[in-house]
Amino acid sequence: MRVIGRQFGVALLVASGLVSAAAAALAGTAAPDFVLKGVNGRNFRLSEYRGQVVLLSFGASWCGDCRSQLEELGELYDRYAGAGLEMVAISLDRDFDDVADTAAQLDTGFPTLHDAGGATAELYQVNRMPYVVLIDQDGIVRDEFTGFSKGEGSRYVDQARTLLAE
Amino acid sequence: MRKLPWVFIAVLLSLPAAAQDAAPGVQDVATDAPRAAPAFAAAASDVSARTLDEEVQELKQLAVDLNRDLFLLEEELLFPASTQVAIFVSMDVGEFFALDSVEIKLDDKDVTNYLYTEREVDALHRGGVQRVYVGNLRAGEHELVAFFTGEGTYERDYRRGATITFEKGIGPKFIELTISDEEDKLQPVFLVREWE
Repeated sequence: MRVIGRQFGVALLVASGLVSAAAAALAGTAAPDFVLKGVNGRNFRLSEYRGQVVLLSFGASWCGDCRSQLEELGELYDRYAGAGLEMVAISLDRDFDDVADTAAQLDTGFPTLHDAGGATAELYQVNRMPYVVLIDQDGIVRDEFTGFSKGEGSRYVDQARTLLAE
Repeated sequence: MRKLPWVFIAVLLSLPAAAQDAAPGVQDVATDAPRAAPAFAAAASDVSARTLDEEVQELKQLAVDLNRDLFLLEEELLFPASTQVAIFVSMDVGEFFALDSVEIKLDDKDVTNYLYTEREVDALHRGGVQRVYVGNLRAGEHELVAFFTGEGTYERDYRRGATITFEKGIGPKFIELTISDEEDKLQPVFLVREWE
């Protein structure tokens, strides 16, 4: 049993290593450009936000942590939007109405986009949700965060503030 | 001993600066002499900074030129003139239509589906012409179908198609899709033009 337990532990470590390696694969590289339709009817192209720090949050309406994260980010958004921080929620829901309903409920203040075919999630190698990507003013991916626990939003914002000060 | 001529040249060079500073009053020469050296150093560093800045600008320009040449070379290799077909989108007024996307099919095959942001639409309104697609086609007859999606008059969703059958010769083929207004009917018009 001990051997099995150890093997399981090693497998878990390897697996977690693989996951983190995959998650950190984009850090330091140019953020892939994309254009997506927003629930407000406007289209959003990432490259148009060069010169600003951009926080992308990938999630879905059925993901509880994603909703909690967006609620927290919504509270922080008003404070930092004027400073040059742009936040964007990217929903991987299949149904546009689900995305629109969730956006209306949360009323975050920042754009919610619909990645209907999942092409953008694929570009960003999203394998867990919520997944946050921080992009600096030069369009380089600087940080990635997976999962969410209450209060973690301020961690993203602290990191974003560092990027804003560069 | 070999350093001596350089010291002499440096002293000679510093003389005009010192003389300039001393010009307002001869009696100030003695007091201004120590001040002239930092002034000369500041001027020299200013000149060297300017030269450095000019060099940086020149290098930047060279990099831009090189990048353009590479781009043109790449274009020529990827899309030779004999097979090249390029499609452009432009807007003439466009008051009755808020453009959202353009979908293009060539010979019944989707070649591009472009979503426009507000800034891009604004650029088109201001006279910009966008190359929405460039590809290769063999000589002969081809069909292009373009679907324009957006918002028409009275904020109604609007989707309209425009078709053109064109002959591709041995030279490059340029096709322009223009969104225009038909004021009598308060409707948008989608025009397709061929350029050789």
